[in-house]
Amino acid sequence: MRTLLRRNEFYLFLVIVVFSLAITIVNPAFFTIENMFDLMRSSAGMAILAVGFFVVLLSGGIDISFPAVACVAQYITVNAIIALGIDNIWLAFAIASAIGIAFGAANAFFISYFRIPTLIVTLATMNLFHGAMLEFVGTKAINAGQLPSAFKSFGLADVLSLQRADGSTYGLSVFFLVLVGVVLVTWVILRYTVLGRVIYAMGGNLEAVKRSGFNIRRTQFFIYCYAGLLASIMGVIYVSLIRFSSSSVIIDSELLHVIAAVILGGASIMGGSGTLTGTLLGVVMISILEKNLVLLGLSNFVQQFFVGLIIVLGVSITHIQKQIRNRRSLTLVRE
Amino acid sequence: MNTKLSNNLTLLFIFIGITALISVFLPDEFLSLRNFASMGRQFPEYGLLALANMLAMTTGGIDLSVVSIASLSGVVSASFLSQYQTVGMPVGTVIVLGILIALAVSVVCGLLNGVIIAYVRVPAIIATLGTQGLFLGVSIIITKGHGIGGFPDAFLFIGNGSVLGMPTQFIIFVVIALLAGLLLTRTPQGFSMLMYGSSPQVARFSGIANEMVLIKTYLLTGLLSGVASLIIISGVNSIRPGYGAEYLLLSVLIAILGGTDPVGGFGTVLGLTLAIFVMQALQSGLNILGFSPFFKKFMWGLLLLLVMVFHYYRRMLAQRRAIRKSAAQNAPPGSKEAAGGQPA
Repeated sequence: MRTLLRRNEFYLFLVIVVFSLAITIVNPAFFTIENMFDLMRSSAGMAILAVGFFVVLLSGGIDISFPAVACVAQYITVNAIIALGIDNIWLAFAIASAIGIAFGAANAFFISYFRIPTLIVTLATMNLFHGAMLEFVGTKAINAGQLPSAFKSFGLADVLSLQRADGSTYGLSVFFLVLVGVVLVTWVILRYTVLGRVIYAMGGNLEAVKRSGFNIRRTQFFIYCYAGLLASIMGVIYVSLIRFSSSSVIIDSELLHVIAAVILGGASIMGGSGTLTGTLLGVVMISILEKNLVLLGLSNFVQQFFVGLIIVLGVSITHIQKQIRNRRSLTLVRE
Repeated sequence: MNTKLSNNLTLLFIFIGITALISVFLPDEFLSLRNFASMGRQFPEYGLLALANMLAMTTGGIDLSVVSIASLSGVVSASFLSQYQTVGMPVGTVIVLGILIALAVSVVCGLLNGVIIAYVRVPAIIATLGTQGLFLGVSIIITKGHGIGGFPDAFLFIGNGSVLGMPTQFIIFVVIALLAGLLLTRTPQGFSMLMYGSSPQVARFSGIANEMVLIKTYLLTGLLSGVASLIIISGVNSIRPGYGAEYLLLSVLIAILGGTDPVGGFGTVLGLTLAIFVMQALQSGLNILGFSPFFKKFMWGLLLLLVMVFHYYRRMLAQRRAIRKSAAQNAPPGSKEAAGGQPA
């Protein structure tokens, strides 16, 4: 119980519960299975991005190129599928994954061979990738009519269908399965493999990991390729969700929200600490703020304000707690 | 120190190279006075934001809220300025008050950042990520998402007028950059900022009041954003929350290109200014050469990567040379000792 009380995730969970209750009291439409399923459908992509960002953050790096990777992957994939004429969602995932992994490898290459700080590398590559695509691939938007039907049927596919009172159906999107898969794989890697433990250790003390003889370069390649892969998967999901593909989606909207979600989830910006549970709770928090303030009768204008406020308050409280704890342990030492 | 200084040389060469290259292709258009005047009009607004981020980076921080601060102070000041016909004050007073309002709002925003970073000890990147949303949110709430426009004619002088043939905002930028340079190299605050950036512990044990240094730093970055907001709203005679969102990454990019160490402890105004010139020359040049605006994004990324890779190789070379030098210095006395020791 005491360990539970000390955990950041516990407080975040409490905040989410309180917040959900407040919304439910004002508007009972919030706490329905249908709305939960909707929330799931619309935020699965963001959760996948957050998992990728979280893994990079754990290793002590920071990858801000993921929105650009997702954007480039989805746009090229949609164009390729149209050009090839093979209307298959698996092929779409394959193409997107290849692009995502290639971009991740480019990030890892500059980070590991030239020892450029990760923030700088990914800042440069995000401009490089996105700029190159805009220049060499094009900027023509692909609307729902032109979008290959594989994306559309993937976006509408449900793993679980329920019936409303009037007979029409709604369901749990297949995105849920993708997200569960991503979370499970990441969880197993981080918890049960040497690779995962090395990622944690790199964030804690890179020098110590080096001296212990682990191959930092190979781990870095894995980390950034994995983040790229997850971003590209999100790209395909995103297109399937909004049934529209353009060369500028995702770029502006997701970067800060995903970072906010991961940080709220308690991951340290310095690396080495944080949990997958926290990250997912952070995503839930941000998604509710982002999409469900309307249910409280608040206009869209205040949404930005509340997201900012929650981040500022959330991280401030965490850090004040940390300071108090530090002070306590210092006095213990003195006694 | 040597490698840091030569970063400026590299940038200077790149700038000259770009200028020369474009001038060869299209001398009439690029080398014209009009082009230089329009370049001088474009860069000050994001140049000031880059300067703000450079100052934050010297302390090992970053300020992701610069664009939002500019948005908020611009919106608040604009809502006052646009009422100049109804407030019943002389136009001159309205303009002065409008400018003061913008600066006051930006200082308050900076103070909030500073308190969160210095006293609550939230890492700057997270604190300003949060306040970025907060400030933008407030400005959206104030305007309900719409733009505000229509200022007194005299106010538009800041963004459209010129003094001695030079754009007003260019002169503002030069004066502020000079002041920032003096601050960084000639004042206790500047010294403390660099010191804190290299090592907070050492700074603390040297008797520097770290908290005050940080608060002043973020007051300054806020103030610079406030000045940028004045240039922005005066230049386009209106403001819309969210204007200049792409300036955020651009300002970080320029600061880093200018040789600022994002981990803290080093940054020069000269390097930053050169980086701004490189970016602006590249942008205008590509524009004149008929490239799409998208291509400049590609070039930004490429340029940043190339400069960093170049620095890596130069650093490696310098290290290797240093090792060889120290090996050459250490070897002779060692061998002499060995030679002298044996006969005895």
